Amino acid sequence: MILDSKIPSGPLKDKWDKHKFEMKLINAANKRKYKAIVVGTGLAGASAAASLAELGYVVEAFTYNDSPRRAHSIAAQGGINAAKNYPNDGDSIWRLFYDTVKGGDFRAREGNVYRLAQVSNNIIDQCVAQGVPFAREYGGLLDNRSFGGAQVSRTFYARGQTGQQLLLGAYSALSRAIGKKQVTMYNRKEMLDIVIIDSKARGIVTRDLINGKIESFWADAVILATGGYGNVFFLSTNAQACNVTASYRAYKKGALFANPCYTQIHPTCIPLSGEHQSKLTLMSESLRNDGRIWVPKNKGDKRKPNEIPEEERDYYLERKYPSFGNLAPRDISSRSAKEVCDEGRGVSATGFGVYLDFADSINRLGKKVIEERYGNLFEMYERIVGEDPYKTPMMIYPASHYTMGGLWVDYNLMSTIPGLHILGEANFSDHGANRLGASALMQGLADGYFVIPYTIGDYFARNKFDKVNIDHPEFKKTESEVIEKTNKLLSIKGKKTPTMFHRELGEVMWEFCGMGRNEAGLKKALELVPKIREEFWQNLTITGEGNDLNISLEKAGRVADFLEFAEVLLWDALERDESCGAHFREEHQYPDGEAKRDDEHFAHVAAWEYRGVGNKPVRHIEPLEFENVQLAVRSYK
Amino acid sequence: MRLKLFIWRQKNATDKGHMEKYQVDDVLEDMSFLEMLDVLNEKLILEGKEPVAFDHDCREGICGACSLTINGIPHGHEKATTTCQLHMRKFKDGDSIYIEPFRAKAFPVIKDLVVDRSAFERIMQAGGFISINTGNAIEANALPISKKNADLAMDAAQCIGCGACVAACPNGAAMLFVSAKVSQFALLPQGQPERKRRVLSMVGQMEKEGFGACTNFYECEAACPKQIPVRFIAMMNRDYLCSRVTEPVEA
Amino acid sequence: MILINYLKSTILSKFVMAVTGVILVLFVIGHCVGNLQVFLGKDAFNSYAYFLQERLGELLLIIRLGLIVAVVFHIITSVRLKFLNLGAKPTKYQVKNYVKARLTSRTMIWTGIMIFAFLTYHILHFTMGVVHPEDYNKTDYYVTNAVSVEKVDNSTLKDTEGSDECCAKGTATTAKESLIKYKGSMYKVEGDEPILSERHDAYAMVISGFQKPLVSILYIIGVIILGFHLNHAIQSAFQTLGYNNPKYFPKIIVGSTIISILLVICYISIPISILLGLVGGRL
Repeated sequence: MILDSKIPSGPLKDKWDKHKFEMKLINAANKRKYKAIVVGTGLAGASAAASLAELGYVVEAFTYNDSPRRAHSIAAQGGINAAKNYPNDGDSIWRLFYDTVKGGDFRAREGNVYRLAQVSNNIIDQCVAQGVPFAREYGGLLDNRSFGGAQVSRTFYARGQTGQQLLLGAYSALSRAIGKKQVTMYNRKEMLDIVIIDSKARGIVTRDLINGKIESFWADAVILATGGYGNVFFLSTNAQACNVTASYRAYKKGALFANPCYTQIHPTCIPLSGEHQSKLTLMSESLRNDGRIWVPKNKGDKRKPNEIPEEERDYYLERKYPSFGNLAPRDISSRSAKEVCDEGRGVSATGFGVYLDFADSINRLGKKVIEERYGNLFEMYERIVGEDPYKTPMMIYPASHYTMGGLWVDYNLMSTIPGLHILGEANFSDHGANRLGASALMQGLADGYFVIPYTIGDYFARNKFDKVNIDHPEFKKTESEVIEKTNKLLSIKGKKTPTMFHRELGEVMWEFCGMGRNEAGLKKALELVPKIREEFWQNLTITGEGNDLNISLEKAGRVADFLEFAEVLLWDALERDESCGAHFREEHQYPDGEAKRDDEHFAHVAAWEYRGVGNKPVRHIEPLEFENVQLAVRSYK
Repeated sequence: MRLKLFIWRQKNATDKGHMEKYQVDDVLEDMSFLEMLDVLNEKLILEGKEPVAFDHDCREGICGACSLTINGIPHGHEKATTTCQLHMRKFKDGDSIYIEPFRAKAFPVIKDLVVDRSAFERIMQAGGFISINTGNAIEANALPISKKNADLAMDAAQCIGCGACVAACPNGAAMLFVSAKVSQFALLPQGQPERKRRVLSMVGQMEKEGFGACTNFYECEAACPKQIPVRFIAMMNRDYLCSRVTEPVEA
Repeated sequence: MILINYLKSTILSKFVMAVTGVILVLFVIGHCVGNLQVFLGKDAFNSYAYFLQERLGELLLIIRLGLIVAVVFHIITSVRLKFLNLGAKPTKYQVKNYVKARLTSRTMIWTGIMIFAFLTYHILHFTMGVVHPEDYNKTDYYVTNAVSVEKVDNSTLKDTEGSDECCAKGTATTAKESLIKYKGSMYKVEGDEPILSERHDAYAMVISGFQKPLVSILYIIGVIILGFHLNHAIQSAFQTLGYNNPKYFPKIIVGSTIISILLVICYISIPISILLGLVGGRL
């Protein structure tokens, strides 16, 4: 299969403009003859649904939450990047583009990334116009801060709740469209499959989470904005319901899944405290600016941190990376934490944690300064852990946070299934092998506000659509498959709950495919995962009925898909025999621990094609061409 | 920790519902309240019983999905804390804990502890926005906004739409929620063109949904996990009265 | 019907509650100041009463009508809101804990009903004289042309009280004024003839009313309930009318409590003083 990225020709700067001009338009009066389904109402989904509705298309939007506003985009804290260059510090569209490509370790498409940087400025304008209360200076103009190690201040923020405010902005636009009856909103409906007719995506099958009804919805195009798959690790910073089902169903129906092995780990999360734990909470990375990371020098040192004398502490980041020290990049600091914990020097009840100590900073700057900078984070930490970080060092541990991989899309954000468009975290397109801080919000909104409204029109204009409705045999067939699967899950009546299987899967994935990966481990995991899946289908137990609000059934369906998807992720990690960005193969590293890329063999996108459960999927390649940037080695020494 | 739980069980919207008693023995103080319920649910599933349904998602206090009334206080007794961020160390061994759904006529129970908060959606759809089409925006810095107002708007915008204000209000009033939304836009210059229409239609929808009236108990403010102050209600009252007098056509 | 159209809107209803409430609070304060004149003695009190009842003329009618309208709307609105609110929370919690709502705010409708009952009794007693008519039907004769009045220590003049003759003439100090003694006081009157008028003896009514312990206790209870009501009501009116400034509102809440306590103290000082014989003991 040839993967055509459809990147327009011509100079990088003109590609998007040229493409916009070359796209076919649909007459304003004819737009209402086209219907689009949007699944997921986070930043990408809500902004897309609202924007398409404003253009005049008929839109139906779906979320499994009780309100579009609850999507997990809401949890993003840091901010959103844009190349406005308000601080006059040398930022530009080109610099944002370059930083993003470099940050992604040269595994993203130049064309996509440049477009992202271009529209980043429009996003800020749009959000301000919607009433998003970004932080401001006393002069009344927008404030910027530097974030995630960027050398320029290009991050716009709204306290520590930027994701929430941006989502509420998109949600308000969506609400307006719903109120005007331009969008039909379906809350508490989970998409369980996609329907392909004449090789085009023509609809979805959903389960109503309140009464269990399986329903079909037809459209001329389907947009998935269903987020990432970080919950494949069981414990992650994702919300409880985040899942891979929508993406995975599309994959099973023929869409290719690109770069699933690119999963980002965030270094500063609150460590897990026991088996009961349902999620990991992220704390802003800015904590590392003033905290010193250490573990005891001796294995199994169970003394309280304050009782461990200075000379028996190992400030391992400062030791290994003297110039960057505690500010070493996310992946390096995450891996180092895992290393020391694997050596048995980890702290916290589970042994998976390292200290982040503010004692020095408090002595140097005073408690008040620290309180001003991190007061709310300290408060949150104390609430969750029950210890006062002003007195006892914080404990942190890395956790799965964001997934750069996703369904393969071309420049128009369309997958390999015609009419199936993928937006936001669910696609793979912009972040390469690693995502920069404050870029996820930017990408979600760019896709929804400024890309899909153009490209979907082109798709509609260039294609003919036969009338379909939900009585079409393909819908009936898909519905009965969904019902069959549900009944099967309900009928196993074994001895283990869906959560138990999910936890087991997560442990395997985290152990062998987490921060550091190697061939032997990945092969081991490829043996273990099918076993868990097999047991799942024989020993699962779910109580309650199918035609009712049934939380264990919902969970079981999601876990079932994770159990299949995990294998795709493992295959990708195994076959990408290099280290790049967040994908760290222990076999490929420089002596200092930095990821060693293999540009000769792996400067490409790997996109996987489904070949049946348990069979190895087929790996397709989209070569990446870099015409404008020089491939360089990252160095943080 | 050993706890006695009294949990509202209700099969569906039409069922009458009742409190049921559960004993959970292996509760750790590091657990969050919802993790404690997870433990109970796992136990129930293994016993072949139906788990307790409750709304939750992000579990970091921002999505607004979680919604339990714990010992008579929405989100529990801990100040400025959502249920998902409430930890079991705030309880004592042997405690009895009463867990009920958010109660109000406008929030009918769907099942167990899950309630239907779609009334909030309809209020938002009635006017909780600034009418601006995508692509239509002016340059972001073309419109200076005083830091004071931007900060105050942000205070209002922090609302997570959980509905604790309604659940806490003895009258089931939604004034805090609606006023936070109305005030956020009323404080910003972008919100001015639609200001009057917005407050009239949002309040109008609020009243259609069957929420009660404000009696200035200030229970909403106490229960609000984001500590949104009742001064926004006063602000909205003012806005509403002015708009009623000056806006000729009722939106 | 247009008059009660506002009831469709909860915020307008609350506005009506607040505005009528403010009117009634102002009345309660004014009434309190007026009542305190009982401590100034019979003449001051009765002339205040006379001023209200006779001198205001049509204005009194307007004030009374205004108050009645305020009370009626206050009650109609509150009842309507109460039913609305009960309907908005059809299922109660099995366990309910309050954090900020105080006893005073939670019991507004009940204190309101009690105040209404008390008010009815109070009007029937002191304004209309329907209950305890013996308190009400008292007449005060007084000298209308008095220039000054002073207590008489011992006098050679014959007290005219109770006699048909009405007044005893004294020796004129100047050509135009003369001294007379009337009901234990020495009046300096213009001319040489005192002119006597009758007026309602409100002072005596209050004294004899409150000298009945039961009436006094009822009154004290009524006033304390009123204080409860006002404690929440005053600051609540500010909030409803849209004034809640983070700097001043805490002071308004405290002020609301202080005013309501002051009002209670002032009001109940009257029956207490009378019961203790500090006022009107000579009657």
